[in-house]
Amino acid sequence: MANAVMGYKQSSFPTKLAAISGIALLIFIILPFVFGDFQLSLMSKLLLFGSLGISLDLVWGFTGILSFAHGVFFTLGGYASAYYLKLNLSAASNTYGGELPDFMVWNGLETLPWFIAPLKYFPIALVATVAVPALFAYILGYFIFRSKVSGVYITIITLAISSALTTFFVSQQAYTGGTNGITDVSKLSFLGSPIPPIGLYFLILAFTVFVLALSWWLTQSNLGLILRSINENEKRIAFLGYDVAQFKIFIWTLSAALAGMAGGLFVPLNQFISPVYLAVAFGTQVVIWVAIGGRGTLVGPLLAAILLGQVQNYAEKVTQDWQLVIGILLLVVVLFIPNGLMSLLPKQLSLANLSKPKLLKTPDAVKN
Amino acid sequence: MEAVLSVRDTKMDGKMESVLSIKDLNVVFSGFKALSGVSLDVYDGEIVTIIGPNGAGKSTLLDAIVSKSPVFSGHIYYQGKDITNNSPHDIARMGIGRKFQNPNVYNELSVFDNILLALKGTHGIWASITAKLTKEKKGKIFDVLSRTGLVDQAFELVSSLSHGQKQWVEIAMVLAQDPSIVLLDEPTAGMTADETYMTGEIIKSISKSHSVVVIEHDMEFVKQIAERIVVLHQGQVLAEGSVEEVQSNPKVIEVYLGHETIKATA
Ligand SMILES: Nc1ncnc2c1ncn2[C@@H]1O[C@H](COP(=O)(O)OP(=O)(O)OP(=O)(O)O)[C@@H](O)[C@H]1O
Ligand SMILES: [Mg+2]
Repeated sequence: MANAVMGYKQSSFPTKLAAISGIALLIFIILPFVFGDFQLSLMSKLLLFGSLGISLDLVWGFTGILSFAHGVFFTLGGYASAYYLKLNLSAASNTYGGELPDFMVWNGLETLPWFIAPLKYFPIALVATVAVPALFAYILGYFIFRSKVSGVYITIITLAISSALTTFFVSQQAYTGGTNGITDVSKLSFLGSPIPPIGLYFLILAFTVFVLALSWWLTQSNLGLILRSINENEKRIAFLGYDVAQFKIFIWTLSAALAGMAGGLFVPLNQFISPVYLAVAFGTQVVIWVAIGGRGTLVGPLLAAILLGQVQNYAEKVTQDWQLVIGILLLVVVLFIPNGLMSLLPKQLSLANLSKPKLLKTPDAVKN
Repeated sequence: MEAVLSVRDTKMDGKMESVLSIKDLNVVFSGFKALSGVSLDVYDGEIVTIIGPNGAGKSTLLDAIVSKSPVFSGHIYYQGKDITNNSPHDIARMGIGRKFQNPNVYNELSVFDNILLALKGTHGIWASITAKLTKEKKGKIFDVLSRTGLVDQAFELVSSLSHGQKQWVEIAMVLAQDPSIVLLDEPTAGMTADETYMTGEIIKSISKSHSVVVIEHDMEFVKQIAERIVVLHQGQVLAEGSVEEVQSNPKVIEVYLGHETIKATA
């Protein structure tokens, strides 16, 4: 008995996982030196989309809350970042000179609205890219999860939020740039000089590693166990003393914060943000990355975002009907690989398996 | 105020204090009275066995205690504190553990993880992120696993276990919670005679350090463990007493035991 206890290995970062992550990271570090400009910016974008997918995986894959609103959190972070870059255009490169962004001038604004003005300052903008989506998600989550709303109704609410915000941002032209969004923004600068594309790539790569590492760390702890339990049967765990709503609000808000950060980095890369990313279509894309990659696998959504992005890139070149190609591909994966691409990997290699909380089979330890 | 008075009321001969005190409880499901006017006290370290025909309201009584079903009127006091309609997680944290009628366990987790989840301790977010699997915790987990005979299955997925073993997993979970009161809803359903006997012994050992409320149908098993029996019928307490008293009660024979005998001989 004592041996059984002693022999039980504590879950630590497995060597195999460390080796695989090391190699993968090395590839991503070398890639930009092989890539041309186009691939460099495409891969930067796909890493951000992958991070957004990982953030959704935390709430959907692990906790079982299917959300179409992750594009919204991403875009809220994106707008915060876009205001910052827009307000930091030099007067010379601003269409009308002066400080007021062009779209505000067109829409008859004469002064910068008080709630946008502070975003001119980097620290405030940086905080806003995280805090605005997080606060929005917190308030939303508080009402959804503290009330008795559950399952498919939550998903319907996220769809409604996505549509409502799209309409709202389109209608508030003077403040949001309407359908066009915020365009012609300045380049993100570091110590006075604009960051080159390769610098942006590495910044985004570092962010992706951060999102992945944080999510891995969280999900292999007892928190991961609790989230999986909420997913399997949320009623039971309350009778073990857990406040289910509190855990849901936490992971939901954290996930939105990560999505917002991804959106914040997206604008310097993309050079604009628009309500397109608020819309249900984009929210659905995020859901697709997670579904294709494999729910609860973290790496899966990242891989899926990169693969689908690349397939789309080549399909676009070959045929006009690229959307059909993508559609058929999705259908095949969903029908024949319902647990996503990661489920094709040998069991021992999948991150899901390696990071499964404390599920270590050590039969020798028990037999003694 | 009321709570204080009730504690005094429930003192038995001024000596024993009830851990759980149920007063005039009514539970109503859209017009249907599942429990009407049920009062019951559970004292420290005793085993209370609840019997009664199907649909008598036995499970509903436990549901009301752990706030799974809302109480329409009446009160539930735990250690003198009114816990009526408190949130389930608060009630669990106070020290009331519940095993459900159908094993309500996590099939996609290992036995070990099920117990780890149930382990008494902090239930906050940060605490769960930073929680370490200490030697002490492992010891506690293997302790409840050995008490329920599950050590060899510790790292198996619960979905691979038999029905009887799942029942034990849930009993082990309740033990890991280390509650003051253990509520067990038909813990031997689906068990072989040997398994049932072993469960009886487990329950007796639990009662050395906890108060236990058991719902049971199997009269052999009831005789093995019972100290005090409460008979529920159509949402009301029909009789209360020792095994002999209940067995010789004509009302009980009519609505329940007679029926059981017929079933047994058929
Ligand atoms: N959540 C609920 N909603 C509506 N009706 C319910 C609910 N729970 C129980 N009931 C009803 O209340 C009555 C008592 O049910 P309960 O499950 O407490 O019976 P029981 O004594 O545990 O029976 P059994 O021996 O079959 O488990 C039944 O008629 C049942 O249909
Ligand atoms: Mg029942």
